[in-house]
Amino acid sequence: MSAPGARRPPAAAASTTTLTRRDIAGLVFTAEMYGVQLDQLATVLSVSEQSARAAAARWRARGYADTARLGPGGPWCWLTRAGLTACGLHYTFAPPALSRLAHLRAVVAIRLALQASDTYLTAAAHWRSERELRARIGKVGAREHIPDGEVAWPDTANVPYAGECWAIEAELTAKTASRTVSIMRELLTRTGDYGCPAAERLRPSAPPLHARALYLCSSAARPTVLRARDALGPALGARIEVRGLPPGAHLEMPP
Amino acid sequence: MIGSYLTWLALRAAGRALRTAAKVTAAAAAAVAAAPATIVAVYAYVLAWLLGWPPRRLRRAAAWCLPMVAVFLAAQALRTRRWGDTWREPFGSWRQMWRLAASGSIGAGLAGVAPVAIPAGLLIGWLAWSYRVFAMETGTGGLTASSPITFDLRQWRHQVRTARARIAAPGAVPLLGRRGDIVAGAVIRAVQHPMRDVARVPYQRLRSHQVVIGTTGTGKTTLLLRLWAGFVAAAWQRFAAGSGGRPLLVVLDCKGGADSRRVADRVRRVLRAAGAQATAIWPDEASLSLWQLPPDQLTTTLLALIEQGTGAAAYYADIMEAVVSLAVLAPCGPPADSAAFLSRLDGGWLATAHAADPVALEAVRSSARQIADVALRYRALFRRLGTGLDGPGSFDDADVWYCILEGTAETAVAEAQAMALVELLAWHAARPGGHARGHGTDGTVRQDTTSTVRQDAEILLAVDEFSAVSRRVSIWKLYERARSLGLAVQVSAQSWQGLAPTEDDRYRIAGTADGGFWLLRTPYPEPVCDLAGSRRMVDTTRRLLGWWLWRSDGYSRAHYTRVVDADIVRSLDVGQAAYIYRGGVSYVQVKRVVAGPPALPGPAHVLPRPPAAPAQPGAPPPGAPGPPPDAGPLLDEVFGP
Repeated sequence: MSAPGARRPPAAAASTTTLTRRDIAGLVFTAEMYGVQLDQLATVLSVSEQSARAAAARWRARGYADTARLGPGGPWCWLTRAGLTACGLHYTFAPPALSRLAHLRAVVAIRLALQASDTYLTAAAHWRSERELRARIGKVGAREHIPDGEVAWPDTANVPYAGECWAIEAELTAKTASRTVSIMRELLTRTGDYGCPAAERLRPSAPPLHARALYLCSSAARPTVLRARDALGPALGARIEVRGLPPGAHLEMPP
Repeated sequence: MIGSYLTWLALRAAGRALRTAAKVTAAAAAAVAAAPATIVAVYAYVLAWLLGWPPRRLRRAAAWCLPMVAVFLAAQALRTRRWGDTWREPFGSWRQMWRLAASGSIGAGLAGVAPVAIPAGLLIGWLAWSYRVFAMETGTGGLTASSPITFDLRQWRHQVRTARARIAAPGAVPLLGRRGDIVAGAVIRAVQHPMRDVARVPYQRLRSHQVVIGTTGTGKTTLLLRLWAGFVAAAWQRFAAGSGGRPLLVVLDCKGGADSRRVADRVRRVLRAAGAQATAIWPDEASLSLWQLPPDQLTTTLLALIEQGTGAAAYYADIMEAVVSLAVLAPCGPPADSAAFLSRLDGGWLATAHAADPVALEAVRSSARQIADVALRYRALFRRLGTGLDGPGSFDDADVWYCILEGTAETAVAEAQAMALVELLAWHAARPGGHARGHGTDGTVRQDTTSTVRQDAEILLAVDEFSAVSRRVSIWKLYERARSLGLAVQVSAQSWQGLAPTEDDRYRIAGTADGGFWLLRTPYPEPVCDLAGSRRMVDTTRRLLGWWLWRSDGYSRAHYTRVVDADIVRSLDVGQAAYIYRGGVSYVQVKRVVAGPPALPGPAHVLPRPPAAPAQPGAPPPGAPGPPPDAGPLLDEVFGP
């Protein structure tokens, strides 16, 4: 038992600090995106990178998160099992895979770029992450292609695409054109939500799940994606949007 | 002497009884010693008997248990760290079970030995059940000579019960299999076909010609509905995936009457759930235009619609051919409808139209006296045919066309309608690329830019109650050229005789049915059973000693027996069908397709609907949105151009 007036260790102090609304939002964001780098976490929390580092330390002290320098660039932060449980998210626990760091960063950058736009905010659009979709599917539908994210625009939004759901794909490296065509077709013709019975996945009479697919490509992948879009034909090709990756999407490579 | 003989007999009988008692005791002791495996074996045997399973099903179940055995052995080896003695573990577990049982822990003992006892029991059950089936098939089993027949009949009842239970289980029989196969129902029994739980018909077989035979009330409509729904659902899936053309189903219901209207309504509701957006019911709600046929084909079709005589009547047939040709092939273009055609059957009109052509003008003058007779016959024909073939409309206007022909009430009219519809569909399937050539209402030829090309369309023509029109519609001629048109034909009739008027035509139809036969209960299935082929069987006088051992004395004779048992077909219950394909047969309990609720009363379905999209690979499925609204400003703002 510590004497009155004695200073508590910082970790213990952090563990008793009440989590703010911003902390909770940051934890949920981090969980949904598998993991984020601290500079991106700072953007999520709308604080400086130093404050983001402090927030991550607080989470770590509570056992909710872990941080480490996994690859090039700043440290990564991800949620532990306890953190996922605390957030009420039934995702399979796994630290960010080294082979996916660049992809994860790109997807987080895309989400942040979209969320920063006034249209997104006023329309109250909703992002559904790949991790969430994968959790809905479980292991049964492991062969389905899952987009890197989905953006749902509410019916009440004052935008021309209200009520639409977009599939988001981040393309850093070029796949083969045929594989890309196959993924595009699957995204655009799918009718059932992820995790639905197999029979509802592709019902001809039902409207498609994704009104359009948004491809954010690196310069290396862009030609293949454009070629694949052309190969889809005019009807489906008109529902594919191709743009470049937003700033800060690339993993910082060592000089 | 007699006393000695009797003593010898008594001793021999006692010896035999002792030997039998010893055998029974040894078997009982072995069964008790291997109690867990014995229980599983008995359970498996009884289950196979009750459900009418083929023996291989038990073998497969035992094989699926092998991973469990491997895990058990590996776990035991890890526990004891003695890898070389792994093979002894089952015996060790068995001994341990009896030790635990002796100490009162029967449950723990059984749990310990279960990983080995279950597959062993299944294997023993498989051996016992396959021996039983083998003995019955060879006629050597059972207590009485008629036992094999009784056994087979009982097994059929068990198999039917199992199949019925399977189709009653929710979700057990989906419309489509994982590979896009059409699932017709649950398999009751299979001969020369692989025995599966459900009867899967690959989509490609519905793209070939099929024949369905079954009397009224045997579930023919249910079977046909299932096949049509499966075709529509599978074809739309393929179309959406870009691996097939746009599907079109055309049903010619040659019975007519109120019953056909009820079926049409059910078809519409079932096929809507399967993916067909628009179902046109001809001629009640939609019409087609015979006059869009190319002039030459239109002339031929118009001539075929009128029944011609032979002998002296051939002269009038020639006159009629000349008059119809003059009317259709007039320099101003072919007629746009029946009224225009009838107005041309006039000497004055024909003379004026062909004034510039001396040869045609001479033909008009020569046939001037018969033109009024020809006009009279066509006026009567068009009055009886009604307006269903006068347009507007084409097969492009709907995904499913259900054409009701009044074959029962007016056979001659139904025959003419069927001929015209078949010709229209054949032309529709064979249209060349580019814009379709049409004809304006003013009789002039125009380029129809709204029509679409269906070169790679996947069309199924189903002719129900074909006997009503088989006298004049040579469906086998269409059969033979249909493959190149992307057109599959499915003919259904109430009997073998209903397929065609002559035996030659029946065999022609049957001979080209490379998608298989569906036989429901029918009193005369023998011709189809003969076509299904035979299999080799052996009759033997050799004696079965037991467990596949035969005495060497006696003789065996191979003979051929039909693959399809005509008596089974004759005794099929409602909803049961025999699917015959490539020398084998699967008896199927057909799963009924449940239709959606009837449409609410409201405005009638208006046809024609907007022209269908061209059948290009990758085209969106029906219901898919057009080009999405512009999201460019947002994307430009966030991600740049």
